[in-house]
Amino acid sequence: MKIYLSLMLLFPLFGAAISSLFGRKLPRRLVETIACAAVWGSFVCAFLAACTYRAPEKVTLGDWLSAFDLLAPLSLYLDPLSLSLAVMIGFVCGLIHVYSVFYMAKELDYARFFALLNLFVFAMLTLILAENLPLLYLGWEGVGFCSYLLIGFWYTDKRNADAGRKAFITTRVGDTALVIAVAWLFQLTGSLSITQLNGMAFLLPGGVITGIGLLLLVGAMGKSAQVPLMVWLPDAMAGPTPVSAMIHAATMVTAGVYLLARMFPLIGGSATVTAAVAVTGGVTAFYGASCALAQRDLKRVLAFSTISQIGYMMLGVGAGAITAATFHLLVHAFFKALLFLGAGCVISAMHHEQDIFKMGGLRRTLPLTFWCYLAGAACLAGLPFTGGFFSKDSILAALWLKGGGLYRGLYLLALLTALLTAFYSFRMVYLVFCGENGRPHVHAELKAMQWVLIPLALLGLFGGLLNLPDYLGGGFLNGFFARLSGGAAAEASHLEELALQGVASVLALAGLLAAHLRYGGKARAQRLKESALSSSALTMFLLNGWYFDRLYHAILIRPYQALSGVLWRRMDEGVIDDSLDRLAAGLGASGSWLGGWTTGRISVYIFSFAAGGALILGYLAWLTL
Amino acid sequence: MTVPLYHVLILAATLFSLGLACVVAWRANVIMMLIGIEIMLNAVMLTFVGGSAQWGIADGQLFALMLMALTSAEVSLALAMVVYLHRRKRSVNTDDFDSMNG
Repeated sequence: MKIYLSLMLLFPLFGAAISSLFGRKLPRRLVETIACAAVWGSFVCAFLAACTYRAPEKVTLGDWLSAFDLLAPLSLYLDPLSLSLAVMIGFVCGLIHVYSVFYMAKELDYARFFALLNLFVFAMLTLILAENLPLLYLGWEGVGFCSYLLIGFWYTDKRNADAGRKAFITTRVGDTALVIAVAWLFQLTGSLSITQLNGMAFLLPGGVITGIGLLLLVGAMGKSAQVPLMVWLPDAMAGPTPVSAMIHAATMVTAGVYLLARMFPLIGGSATVTAAVAVTGGVTAFYGASCALAQRDLKRVLAFSTISQIGYMMLGVGAGAITAATFHLLVHAFFKALLFLGAGCVISAMHHEQDIFKMGGLRRTLPLTFWCYLAGAACLAGLPFTGGFFSKDSILAALWLKGGGLYRGLYLLALLTALLTAFYSFRMVYLVFCGENGRPHVHAELKAMQWVLIPLALLGLFGGLLNLPDYLGGGFLNGFFARLSGGAAAEASHLEELALQGVASVLALAGLLAAHLRYGGKARAQRLKESALSSSALTMFLLNGWYFDRLYHAILIRPYQALSGVLWRRMDEGVIDDSLDRLAAGLGASGSWLGGWTTGRISVYIFSFAAGGALILGYLAWLTL
Repeated sequence: MTVPLYHVLILAATLFSLGLACVVAWRANVIMMLIGIEIMLNAVMLTFVGGSAQWGIADGQLFALMLMALTSAEVSLALAMVVYLHRRKRSVNTDDFDSMNG
């Protein structure tokens, strides 16, 4: 097991090292092959680890921090949660790497790109496999760092570089809370091992657990783009499409959900924390779905859908259903990677046009992409019997079964969100693929890229098999996660479960029908005409993400800029620089004034000397007399 | 008959003042300034000798001899420089040499 785990981490790290150190010297094909082989090697290790997995295992690879009583060795922890994520990350990232080879075929700076992609995978695997919080934090920051560099990959355009900075700074807000939580935990318990901390939950007072839980939640908000720290994710679309796929599906944004699921035995004891997690998730799910309704940019639709779906996962964690949340995380990774890679194909075929109102007709010219994309959209919308349906429904069921006014309310909000999700998913499909007005450009790379979509589409569609409901024979994940704390799902009668699924499927189909009526067939042309006109206030509100950017600009950025301006002009230039300048000028002036005394005439000097001597003598005489 | 010390000192002070007055007043001629300096030095030497005679210690006389050697060296050097200055500007007026000013 030790060899699998260490190789799983070392493969991407070596790939990154080789690409970054020698990438420019090596032939292009070799760099691409090494990058893909590293991730696939990592996947094989994860797969072998899964095959030989018996019980949760802790593996220590070496010493890292050991000062006084702070112990943070390089130790990894393999349990169902980290194992399932590791397998998923290896597989999805492997496919994305293969896709990138074709997508970035014309990019000159391929070495930097593949080095960063490999490093990204390494950081994410470190994050999920870490046994102690400092190591987890290392991966956490590594993920943030790689995403910053990859979002701003085309950094010569200032907008891209700004998007990278925005992602970095926004997630930093959450990271600060996480660091505080880690330090607090160490101060309370003297231990940073996740397994030990989770076992110590009952020793800590309730108020402290609530505080730590809320801090961890803020950390997760930053990384997972939850309200109110979600503003960076739509802008993160500035990066290359495979990077967006990686950030949204396998790495980065799921880290927050993973953190909360990992620490759930510790924080789950506090009802305040779980309620806060659930409310955050519910609000975010609704926020994302509502914004996605009005977006025009294909990638921004998907970005808001990710925000919304991560909100669902948070809802699952908040309802105490770790299995359901992880199930949705896995299935979402498959279909969101599929949608992003499909979007990459579409954008590449449409000459890098991203406005969905200017697309159309791709159903016939790109049939493979269309069918795969349709499968992804069906999963996203939660149409019955797709993977997304089962995973989303298990979260909804957990919410319903949790009971209480708050959770029932969130259940209704989640149902409404599901309706919106189905609507915007098919709005996107209708606008992109139906109609006639597209002139796609099908090139050789595009044909290769399409094949990557097929395994993802199959996994998305049949992802439900991972965890079927009880009346269909019970789920694999349920059994697998049963020994995980918080893993055991609440029991529902078959009838109740069927009823809940019935409601969810009716809503998904209603959303599909609404999208069909509004965007399908002849109505589509009408909508295209409307889109050229000015939009209503509500559409603008949703298009701009509820004006959160403007709000933050007004309440945070502008005061900060004003303060910086004052400090710069008044403090730095006005007080510090000016006082030094004046001191120097005063010294210079007095120097040149004194310099005027040196006339160069010896007689004056001698006279002054004699006068001075006479004065001193006179003073001494006055003293003695 | 011994001369009291303060008579010697008064004479020395008078000599010194005369020398100083010469240096301060006669600036039109470097050589006259040098003579003034010599007079002042002699006043100092006189003080040394007077002190030596008063307390019967030979140190003062020793210093007087040292000063004689020193002044001869100083005068030879200074006169050489005066010759040099005179060659440069055809003048021995000190006010003509005021180029080293602030």
